[in-house]
Amino acid sequence: MILLFLTSGLFLGWSLGANDASNIFGSAVGSKMISFRKAAIIASIFVIIGAVLQGSGASVTLGKLGAVNALGGSFTVALAAGATVYLMTKFSLPVSTTQAIVGAIIGWNLFTGNRTDMSTLTQIISTWITGPVLGGAFAVVLYMILKTIKKKSSIHLIRFESYVRTGLVIVGAFGAYSLGANNIANVMGVFVPAFNLNDLDLGIITLSSSQQLFLLGGIAIATGIITYSNRVMEVVGNQIMELSSDAALVVVLAQALVLFIFSSSAFSSFIESTGLPPFPMVPVSSTQVIIGSIIGIGLYKGARNINFRIVGDIAKGWILTPVASGLIAFFSLFFVKNIFNINVGTGIAENGGSIIGNTASASSAHSISEIMGFLITGLLGLGIVILILYYFAERKKKNELRKSEEKFWNNLK
Amino acid sequence: MALFTRTTKNLILKIDEFFDDIDLGLLVFREGIKSYLEKDMDAFERHILKVEQLESHADRLQRSIENEMITNSILPQHRGEVSSLIDVLDEIIDTIKSTLNEFRIETPEIPDSLNHNFISITESSVCAGEEIIPAARAYFKSPYTVREKLLKVYYFESETDKVSRETRRIIFQDMKDLDLAHKSHLRYIINHIEKISDTAQKAADLLSIMAIKIVM
Repeated sequence: MILLFLTSGLFLGWSLGANDASNIFGSAVGSKMISFRKAAIIASIFVIIGAVLQGSGASVTLGKLGAVNALGGSFTVALAAGATVYLMTKFSLPVSTTQAIVGAIIGWNLFTGNRTDMSTLTQIISTWITGPVLGGAFAVVLYMILKTIKKKSSIHLIRFESYVRTGLVIVGAFGAYSLGANNIANVMGVFVPAFNLNDLDLGIITLSSSQQLFLLGGIAIATGIITYSNRVMEVVGNQIMELSSDAALVVVLAQALVLFIFSSSAFSSFIESTGLPPFPMVPVSSTQVIIGSIIGIGLYKGARNINFRIVGDIAKGWILTPVASGLIAFFSLFFVKNIFNINVGTGIAENGGSIIGNTASASSAHSISEIMGFLITGLLGLGIVILILYYFAERKKKNELRKSEEKFWNNLK
Repeated sequence: MALFTRTTKNLILKIDEFFDDIDLGLLVFREGIKSYLEKDMDAFERHILKVEQLESHADRLQRSIENEMITNSILPQHRGEVSSLIDVLDEIIDTIKSTLNEFRIETPEIPDSLNHNFISITESSVCAGEEIIPAARAYFKSPYTVREKLLKVYYFESETDKVSRETRRIIFQDMKDLDLAHKSHLRYIINHIEKISDTAQKAADLLSIMAIKIVM
């Protein structure tokens, strides 16, 4: 039953994978620089790695906004955010998973009578503006550097494109890592306070309770990428402005950098050590950052090709998403609590911040840990098998192509 | 990744080789026409043979370049235009081969007084073709310089037009002793030689748009 509550988080992870992975590899796949299959595999692997290794930073901030302290509450909050993302996507409105989850948590705070930490909320909202602005600034600077290098080096176009392609793979992997690190908080952050699992030893790495949740969330994102992001990838990038391959590389790199700096505690400490204010570790909307980056390049090029109607829609989404998600969460919590009689969480004492309410009990925690252990090992095993099968299928395809090529030239002779 | 680097290197070499074939074909064509006008038929046959080899090699390279670009998904955004450029450049060597074959099969009788005009038409037409090659190479290495290189193509194309117009005028208005069939035949041969510069201009139009797109 407890694991069933996780399904809403996994659903949210799936929709995040389906929507946001397109931000990373969309322009590369749309411009046919990288095949969808290759992009999906790279994105899936690195999203999972990012989520497990660096996911905790942003989730702590989300926890400060509202520590959802009952599984029923976590389930409903994630479901409300997932439903908002799904509905807005269905009505072709630009949507941010980050804003959806923030809206849903505020909905939970209002329902349970918890105070919303205004400083954390301000911090999060400020990144909705600084994220795209920073993305745009990074994109312009990187684009200028790339253009200068291209002009001065007189590099052959084909060689340049091959470097861009390699760059897209590397930067895409970095982008996926940053997406996993930054956005896993949206997917699993609300479940962290409510779950207390035993450490899971996988031989090479020991996963803590939150890391196990992040791994599961990462796998859900990867599933979203593999199963649904294809159609989104093929249209993204060209919606606002048609991107060249080098602009695509710059946009993805700018987005990855922004996501990375908002989720790296090491970078934040480094900035603090120089006397500057530290970067808050906050989940940032990858969609908005990429839009900021594309607009940045568009403005640099003279703003002729920017589709401002889409930009207006995005601005509408900034207000609509958290409000809709908050309302859905509030009313869903009401139904879950009063009709299904499920505990959705209670108020948190102001003074000590101790969690009142039911987290997974100690006795059931052990069995849940065991099930989670089997689940994670099974899923990882399945992933490795799929990767091996993919490798052999690709090798077979290449051999067949080579043979048909040889046959063609022999016949021509 | 190593395999991919090799593919890229091979493709660059093939494109360069293709341009070399066109360049060499133009050179041989010029010499071929001179041999014909000097009535040195052995040299003329030798030049035809060389052009045929170059044309066949260029055809193979063209197929191979287009094939590799598609199978390895190279230059996905510019592939169509690069293929079109290679097609148009291949048309130049095709025209060279067919024109020399027209000379071999139809053996047009060119009056000695027109030798100089025919050499001038050939010279300027071949120059237009020769000038397109550095512009095409520049598209891949320094697209900012393509347009300035194309100016020479347009210049030689208009020179070819002028000289051939003047030659046609001489044939039809001044050379009263030639019969109409002979005049028409000479005009037909001039049109063939002129086609090289026309095709070079077609390639120049294409390249100038391609260059704008790539530097934008």
